[in-house]
Amino acid sequence: MQKIWKNINAGIPQKSIEELNLLLTSKTKQTLNKFLLPMSISILVCIALIIYLTITSLNRQDDLIYIINNLTLGLITTIALFSGMISWYKLQNNRYNQPLKEWLEVRIHLLSKWLTGKQSKLYVLLIPILYTLTVLSIHVYFENKTFIEVLNTKESIIGLVVGTLIGLFVSYFAVRKIRKYQMLKLEFLNDLYGRLNNAR
Amino acid sequence: MKSLKEEFLEILSNYQGILHKVNLVYFKNESDREDNFQEITYQLWKSYPNLKNKDSIGSWIYSVSINTSISRIKRESRIHYRDEIPELPDKSNIIDEISKNESLQLLLNAIYNLNGIDKSIMLLYLEEKSYSEIANIIGISKSNVGVRINRAKELLKQNINTLNHGEY
Repeated sequence: MQKIWKNINAGIPQKSIEELNLLLTSKTKQTLNKFLLPMSISILVCIALIIYLTITSLNRQDDLIYIINNLTLGLITTIALFSGMISWYKLQNNRYNQPLKEWLEVRIHLLSKWLTGKQSKLYVLLIPILYTLTVLSIHVYFENKTFIEVLNTKESIIGLVVGTLIGLFVSYFAVRKIRKYQMLKLEFLNDLYGRLNNAR
Repeated sequence: MKSLKEEFLEILSNYQGILHKVNLVYFKNESDREDNFQEITYQLWKSYPNLKNKDSIGSWIYSVSINTSISRIKRESRIHYRDEIPELPDKSNIIDEISKNESLQLLLNAIYNLNGIDKSIMLLYLEEKSYSEIANIIGISKSNVGVRINRAKELLKQNINTLNHGEY
């Protein structure tokens, strides 16, 4: 078999240094864009939200509940942004220059922690809280009423409930899709790792 | 004096055969192989500054190439947005060369049917790497390498027999 395999060397194409350089430069640019684009959008959205929360809170200094709503939202958004950035960086910073078994262990550990760890179900709680607080903050502000007055208006409550339900459905659908893909990846890596350990 | 990138590209140029061979055992499709070649190149470049032992460049390239390929094979089954690959002059297609050699074609088809781990072990065995080198690249003990090679060889023989008799 080794003799047969040696014949393959005759068919191996040789790329020149210039061609390799072109491939590398183009890949580096693409990877940078893939990493920077979602990161920049998330940061911009969070900054815009925090600016909005600050301005609206300053305009509604007499409505304590509204200020508490905005403060809570601002705090959760900031924490979520930082922890999200750290997780994203860890997942993207895939170090391939290690033995296969070690690499599999690191990837499995990282993905397991993210998908099945203690805080893996936090999104179930965070998405509705963040969504409801955001909808309330916008709705109360543009209704030109106090927080309590809005909650006492039947039309507002109906609008809020319907809007929140639709928003939550879309958010959960997106999150579930991402998790399902990552779960498949984890299963695949676990399977390979199992095969490596079942040699005897 | 050469820059780090020039130094890296020279090494890559000398060892690019490894990337092509790893690609060949992991990917059937030409465009997947091109995508993966580019991805491996990028991953090698990313880890090049951390390469301490310049005597084991071959092992380092095998490790990065195998790990990168394994992380990408799962993606074949889903909708795949291909990265843009720069237009390069047409080179002789490796598959054209293989198709001229029936035994090689049969061997390669039999390797395709192995699982991701056995593929890499068989590749290293066919490349005549020592048990100790294979152990370092895969991250298992030398004795384990022997067991795995024998098992993979058996599977490969079975695959070849199946393909020979057209039972697949």
